[in-house]
Amino acid sequence: MRRPFALQRVAELAAFILPFAAFWVLFRLGPVLYGVFISLYRWDPLGEARFAGFGNYLRLVHDPRFWNALVNTLKFAALAIPLIVGLGLLLGLFIFGGRGSRAAKMMEAGFFLPYLLTVSIVGLVWRWIFDPDFGVVLLVLRQAGLHPPTFLNEPRWAIPVIALATAWWLAGYRMVLFRAALEDIPEELYEAARLDGAGGVRIFFAVTLPLLKPAILFALVLTTISGFIVFGQVLMMTAGGPGRASEVLALYLYRYGFEYLEMGQAAAVGVILFLIILGLTLLSFRWLGFEAQL
Amino acid sequence: MGSLLLLWIAPIVWMVTTAVKPTPEIFARPPRWFPRTPTVHHAVVVVTSWPFLRWLLNSAIVAGATTCLSTLVSIPAAFGFARLRWRGRDALFLLFLSSMLIPLEVNVVPLYFLMNRLHLLNTYPAVFLPMVGMPIGIFLLRQFFLNIPGELDDAARVDGCGNVRILWHVILPLSRPALAALGIYMFTFAWNEFFWSMIALQSPRMFTLPIGLRALQGAYDIDYGILMAGSALASLPALVVFILLQRSIIRGIAMTAHR
Repeated sequence: MRRPFALQRVAELAAFILPFAAFWVLFRLGPVLYGVFISLYRWDPLGEARFAGFGNYLRLVHDPRFWNALVNTLKFAALAIPLIVGLGLLLGLFIFGGRGSRAAKMMEAGFFLPYLLTVSIVGLVWRWIFDPDFGVVLLVLRQAGLHPPTFLNEPRWAIPVIALATAWWLAGYRMVLFRAALEDIPEELYEAARLDGAGGVRIFFAVTLPLLKPAILFALVLTTISGFIVFGQVLMMTAGGPGRASEVLALYLYRYGFEYLEMGQAAAVGVILFLIILGLTLLSFRWLGFEAQL
Repeated sequence: MGSLLLLWIAPIVWMVTTAVKPTPEIFARPPRWFPRTPTVHHAVVVVTSWPFLRWLLNSAIVAGATTCLSTLVSIPAAFGFARLRWRGRDALFLLFLSSMLIPLEVNVVPLYFLMNRLHLLNTYPAVFLPMVGMPIGIFLLRQFFLNIPGELDDAARVDGCGNVRILWHVILPLSRPALAALGIYMFTFAWNEFFWSMIALQSPRMFTLPIGLRALQGAYDIDYGILMAGSALASLPALVVFILLQRSIIRGIAMTAHR
């Protein structure tokens, strides 16, 4: 007797969930598994595929260029992630401090603005600002009597400058996240702390920071991902140069896959990137002691 | 702080002023902050020698399709996760959510194989299909639906409404802020997508704006007047929309991280 009813319920549930699930399986989960499969083969550009086991991974391990790209990505991540999250947090605190005022609203809009530009605009504009011959930053520093390096032309400076451009682009979004999270902290908590005689600094470390944990975790995970898949800025600002001083993993993946047509090896880089992101996310969950609240 | 804001905006101003300077002024030393004889020459070159307006249209189509489709499939799924009770619900939701850790970028090779098999390379669907199943949609909407009191559903159910009508007549009318937030997020995400689009789109007429700008750079190298004119023109739509809808955009973006 209950059967048609239950069946109808299942059908209804399926109709609700399946459209999304189909896209998700086909274009999100599926490609990850497919990528693992591709990475186990060597692909001839003419269409012949030969099983290679972990051959592609071994080729990566023996390729100094891969290690160079890995180190460059780590360098970039180590610079960009703290810069972006830190700047976002500082700006968020500042905007929150002036909440309600017109000036704060205007500033929030201004700091957020770069986030709306596409990565190629960010790359072009910052490449122009730091142009080794005519870049305005160099000219101004020289006018001030300094002898600046030629930044994007110097192996030591390429990645830091790209990290700076990335921070300019992405910090505004984090600022908005932090400002919103700060607004969620009940005013009573601050008052209670103040009644207990806590000063501004203590309130920050005892009340604000712990309650910001979920927002910090979110920003950290988000930024870690952006940091490890960095591509467009690098391509537009240095194309991986000078030499290979700023060739990052995503650029390495692109070149091996779509310029040298080593698809298996490129897929292996994709798998490795995914594992790095997964590992770091688990690590930051652990580190910040996040209790997964649904 | 005011001077930091000026410094922050300076690159954008520099982009615009460079775009309207005649070439000798662009390379003048010391640098000239504002043009003496402004010109639209560079912008004209960009629009007349390149399919710039077509790129704009392509970007709008890709971003529009991504936004519509992802909203369309996320609404019922989010309802299923927020309002229906079934075994395995939370586990499946967590699984969907954890795919936030799979950025498009790590999947470009398998997606290339897949789209090649489906004969979709160099088409709009190749670009927007992979962006439709982003978990942010169900995450954001589910969160919002959960905050709508269940008594409203119950009242509608007493009146004989089924789940579909509850979703349509009770939940959705109350969810406009969340829908707006999702729309803004998805649109900007798709509008700005770079890595996968660059691989999926091969003929210049199919390029979206970000990929078109890359082609400009390839053609002009350091002719910054043209490059900045292209950048300024390409950022114009986003800037205009932002100036008009500033508050709701920032509010929407803030919602994307709320738990």
